[in-house]
Amino acid sequence: MEATVKTDFIGQEAGAEPKRAWIFTRPTAKTGLVSWLTTVDHKRIGMLYGCSALIFFLVGGLEALMIRIQLAVPNNTFLTHQKYNEMFTMHATTMIFLAIMPLSAAFFNYIMPLQIGARDVAFPRLNGFAYWLFLSGAIILNIGWFVRSGEPDIGWFGYAPLTTSQFSNQFPGDMSTDLWVMGLQILGVSSVVGSLNFIVTIINLRAPGLTMMRLPVFTWMTLVTAFLIVLSFPAITIALVELMMDRNFGTNFFEVSNGGLPILWLHLFWVFGHPEVYILILPAMGIISEVIPTFARKPLFGYPIIVFSGACIGFLGFGVWSHHMFTTGMGTVATAAFSLMTMAIAVPTGVKIFNWIGTLWGGHLQMRTPMMFALGFVWMFMFGGFSGVMHAAAPADAQQHGSYFVVAHFHYVLIGGSLFALLAGIHYWFPLIFGRRVSEFWGKLSFWLIFVGFNVTFFPMHFLGLNGMPRRTAVYDGDMGWNGLNMVCTIGAFILGIGIAVYFAVMIYTYFRGEKSGRDPWDGRTLEWSIPNPPPEHNFDVIPTVHELDAFWYEKHHPEETAREQAASIRAEASHGGIHMPSQSWFPILTAGGLLIGALFFVNHIIPGAIAGLALVFIGACLWAFEGPGGYHVHPASAQPGPGHGNH
Amino acid sequence: MRPSIFLRHLRRRALPAALIALLPLVCGGWLDWLHGPQSTFEPEGPVARSQLDLFMVTVYVTGVIFVLVAGTLAYVTLKFKARNEADEHAEPPPQSHGNPLVEISLIGLSVLALVIISVPTLKGIWYSYDVPAEEKAGAYEVNATGYQWWFKFEYPAEKNSANLSLFTANEMVIPAGKAVHINLRSNDVMHSFWVPKLAGKVDMIPNRGNHLWLKADAPGYFWGQCAEFCGEDHAVMRFRVIALNEKDFADWLANQKQPARTVEAAPAAARAQFASYTFNNPGRNAPGYSEQFDANPLAAWQQQQQVPVAGTENTELISQGRALFKAKTCIICHTIRGHEGVGTAAPDLTHVGARSTIAGGLLENNPQNLHRWITDLNNVKPGNKMYMGFATGMVGYMKKDAQGNLTEHNITVSDTEAHAIVAYLSSLK
Repeated sequence: MEATVKTDFIGQEAGAEPKRAWIFTRPTAKTGLVSWLTTVDHKRIGMLYGCSALIFFLVGGLEALMIRIQLAVPNNTFLTHQKYNEMFTMHATTMIFLAIMPLSAAFFNYIMPLQIGARDVAFPRLNGFAYWLFLSGAIILNIGWFVRSGEPDIGWFGYAPLTTSQFSNQFPGDMSTDLWVMGLQILGVSSVVGSLNFIVTIINLRAPGLTMMRLPVFTWMTLVTAFLIVLSFPAITIALVELMMDRNFGTNFFEVSNGGLPILWLHLFWVFGHPEVYILILPAMGIISEVIPTFARKPLFGYPIIVFSGACIGFLGFGVWSHHMFTTGMGTVATAAFSLMTMAIAVPTGVKIFNWIGTLWGGHLQMRTPMMFALGFVWMFMFGGFSGVMHAAAPADAQQHGSYFVVAHFHYVLIGGSLFALLAGIHYWFPLIFGRRVSEFWGKLSFWLIFVGFNVTFFPMHFLGLNGMPRRTAVYDGDMGWNGLNMVCTIGAFILGIGIAVYFAVMIYTYFRGEKSGRDPWDGRTLEWSIPNPPPEHNFDVIPTVHELDAFWYEKHHPEETAREQAASIRAEASHGGIHMPSQSWFPILTAGGLLIGALFFVNHIIPGAIAGLALVFIGACLWAFEGPGGYHVHPASAQPGPGHGNH
Repeated sequence: MRPSIFLRHLRRRALPAALIALLPLVCGGWLDWLHGPQSTFEPEGPVARSQLDLFMVTVYVTGVIFVLVAGTLAYVTLKFKARNEADEHAEPPPQSHGNPLVEISLIGLSVLALVIISVPTLKGIWYSYDVPAEEKAGAYEVNATGYQWWFKFEYPAEKNSANLSLFTANEMVIPAGKAVHINLRSNDVMHSFWVPKLAGKVDMIPNRGNHLWLKADAPGYFWGQCAEFCGEDHAVMRFRVIALNEKDFADWLANQKQPARTVEAAPAAARAQFASYTFNNPGRNAPGYSEQFDANPLAAWQQQQQVPVAGTENTELISQGRALFKAKTCIICHTIRGHEGVGTAAPDLTHVGARSTIAGGLLENNPQNLHRWITDLNNVKPGNKMYMGFATGMVGYMKKDAQGNLTEHNITVSDTEAHAIVAYLSSLK
C-alpha cells in the first residue's frame, strides 16, 4: 500500500503528475552547462567546490609569492606598502575562506554521503545553494582587483577601528572594505547553510546498522566541523553587520569618536576566529584518520578516543579565543584562564598524534603518495602543536604575538597540517572520483618538493620572529639581522610553488591520461570504496548494512552475509518503487545570484539595486518552496530483485 | 656501480655524514639568527628576561616530548614499512583496535608536561602585568600614545617651560635601572608597543586604557616597533627607547623642559666654516640607517645632544628656515615650544635636533635624511598624514579633489627652501 502511494506522489510511470506551470518545470539535462548550473548531485557540487577552491588556492599562492618577493631583500620596492597590505589581506582571506574551507567542503560533499551509505545529502537543493553562495562571496571578495578601490587592505582580521570609513577609505566611495564585509557575510551564510545540511545528513541518512560509534572518523570530523561552523559564524556575522551599520548607516559600535569599543570587535572576531582554526584543521585530521589505517592495513588505534578528542577539541575551541588577545591587556585572571585553557586543548590534540602512531605500530605500511602526505602531516603538525604550546604561555607570547614566530606556527598548522591532509585526500580519493590513479613517482616527487619547500620557507620564520621581526610589514631595514633568513624563506617559497605546480600538473595529466584504476585500488576500509569508480549518480545500487567500524573491510571478509543482506535490501527498495533521486532545480543559483547582485549594488551605495537583489532572493526562495520536492526513480540492472545479483 | 646500489650507499654513508658536517654550521647559524637590535634572545631588562626564561621552559618541555614522540614515529615508520613485493602482498596484520591503558597513561603524561609549563606561566603573568609592589614607589611614569604612524611620549611628572607636561615623540628616554610604568593609549586605530629587548608588547587600543612596565638593566639604546597592523605605514612605524643613568636622565629632562633653542647671530668671519651638503635622493624605500650609527647607537644619540659651538651655525639660513616653517603652515600641526609652532596633531619638534631619528624612527637624523623627508615624504613613508592630510579636513602637502584624487599641491618645498628648513630643524637641540 505504502509503495503505491509513494509512486503516485513521485509521478513515475503511473503518470499521475498534474500539469505544472512552465516556471516549475524541472531541468533534466544530465550533461552540458545546464546540468552543472542546476545540479543537486552531491558529487557534482563537491567537484564544483573542489575546482573553485583549487583555482582560488592558486590565486592565494600567487599572492604569497608576491609577498615573498617583496620580502626577499630589505627595503624592497617591488610592491608599494598599499599593495603589500592588500596582498597579505587577500592571501589570508583567500586561503582560509576560498581555498582550505571549500576544499574541505568539497570532501564533505563528495565523500561523507558515500561513507554513510547515502544517495545524496538531506537537502540537495540547499547544497547547490550553499555552493552558489560561496561562489558569489568569492566573486565579491576578488572584484577589487579590477576596480579603482583595490582589494581590502585591512588584514583578514579587520581590526576596528581601522575598518571604519574614516581610516580605511582612501577616497569617497572607496568600497574595498565594503567588499570584504559583504563577501564574508555571504560566505558565512554559505557555510552555515552547507553545515546544517551536513548535520542533518549525518544524523538522518546513515545506512542501517551505521551507529554513531561506527561512523568513519572523517564523517565524525565533518559533523564536529559543521557544528563549529553553525555555532561560530553567527559571531562574525554579528560583528560584520555592526561594522556594515557603522560604515553605511552611522551607528557607533566601533566608532571611537562616539564612544565605540574596538575591543568588542576583537572579542566577536576571535569567538569566531578560533573555532575557525579548528574548522580548518578537524577535516584534515579526519582525512588523516582515514589514510593512515588504510595504508597501515589495520584499524585506527583507539577509535573512540580519536572521536572523543575531536569533539573535545570542538568544545574547548570555543573557550580559548582570547589567546589571540593576550597582548590586549585583559588583566591577570582572564589571561591566566585563557592560558590554561589553551594548554588544555593540547591534550586532545596530542592524543590524536599518539593514536596515529599507535595505528602505524605493527601495521604493514604501504608507502603510497597519500601515506607520504599523511606522515608529513603528522610530523609538521607536531611542530605546529609545539609552537602552539609556546604561545599558550602568555608572557612568552607577549614577545611572539604579531611576530614571524606566529606566522611560522600557523603555517605549520595550516600548510603542514590542513593542506598536507587535503593533498593526501586528493591523492587518496582521486581513483574513486575519476577512476584513474596518479603516478607514484610523480606523486612522491611533488610530495618531497612540497615538503622541502615548505620547511625551507617556514622553519626560518621561527627565528625571524624570535629575532623581533613583526608580521604584516611591507619593508624592513637591512641592519636588523633578518636579511639572510628572509632570502632563505623566499627561496623556499619558490620551491614550494614548484612543488604545488608539479602536484597539480600531475593531477591534470592523470585526469586525462592517467592509468585506469580498478575498483577499490587501496584495499579500502570504508563504504565509499565499495562502489564502482567513478561512482554512479545514485552512488549505491544497494544500500549497505553496517556491522562494524570499517564497514567495507567487514563486507570484504564476510561475503556470504553481505550477499544475503543485499538481496533483502534490493527487495525492500524495489517494493518502494526503486531508487529515489532528487530533481535538479534552477532556484538555488537564482536565489544565490540575487544575493550577489544585491551585494554588488550595496557596496556601490545604490540602495534601490540592493533592494532589487534582495527581492530576487525572496522571489527565488518562494518559487523554490512552491516548486515542490520533485524526484524520480532509477532502476540500475544490478539492483533488480532476483537470483544472481550479489555484491559486485 | 648500479644506480640502486649507489643510492643505497648514498643513503647509508654520505647523507648522514653530510648532515653531521652541516650540524655545526646550522647550530652556529642559530646563534647568529637570534642576534639583532630586536632580538628577544638578548634581553636587557628583567621583564624581557622573565619572558625568555619562560619561553625556554616551553622549549625544553616540548623538546623532550619531541624526542620521545618523533623518535617513536621514526622508529615505527622504519620498522613497519613495507620494503619489498612480499611485504606489499602480505596478509593484513592483526586488526587490533587500541589499548586503553596506553592511551590513558599518555594523556596523563601530557597533562603532567603541561603542568610543568603552566606553573611558571602563571607566575610570569602576574610578574609581567605590573610593576612589582616593592618597586612601585620608585617607578617612573610615562604615557605613550600611538598615532598613525608615530608615537607620542608624555612625561606627566615633568613640567615644561609652558607649565604643561613634557612631550616628546618617537624617542622615549627613560632612567636605567628603574622600573618604568607606561600607560598606553591610542589616538586613532589599534597599535602595539613593543621593545623586544626590554619587554613583550602590549596593545594601544582606542577607548581602552592599557599599560605595561619595563626596566632597562643599564644605559642603552633600544629599537622598538609597532606590532599591530595599523594601516598603510605599519611597517615603518618605529621608535627608540634610550635608557640613561640618573645624571644624564636629569640633564636630558632639564634640556627638554627648555623652550626651543634660538640661535644667536654669529660673527661674520665664522660663516666660511658652515658645513653644508648636497642633497641626493636615494629613492623610494631607500634605507635611512648607517653603519657608524649602528656601531654605537647610544654614543651616536649622545653626539646628537651636543649643542654646536657658538658661531658655527648659519644664523641667516636658520632664521629663513624658521620663517619658512611658519609660511609653509608646518606650525599648524607641529609644536615648537617658544617659537611659532602650536599644533598637536603631529610630533612635537621643540627639540627635534637632539633626536637620533626622524620620520617615526625610520631615518637617522642627519641633514640628508631631513631634506629627503621634507621634500620626498611620500616615497619615504607612503600615505603619511603630512602628505595626505587628515580625514578631518586638515590639508597636508597635497589637496584632494571631490573624487579623492591628489591633484593639487598645497605645500611645495623647493631645494633651497629645504636647506633652510633643515638648518632650522637641526638647530633645535
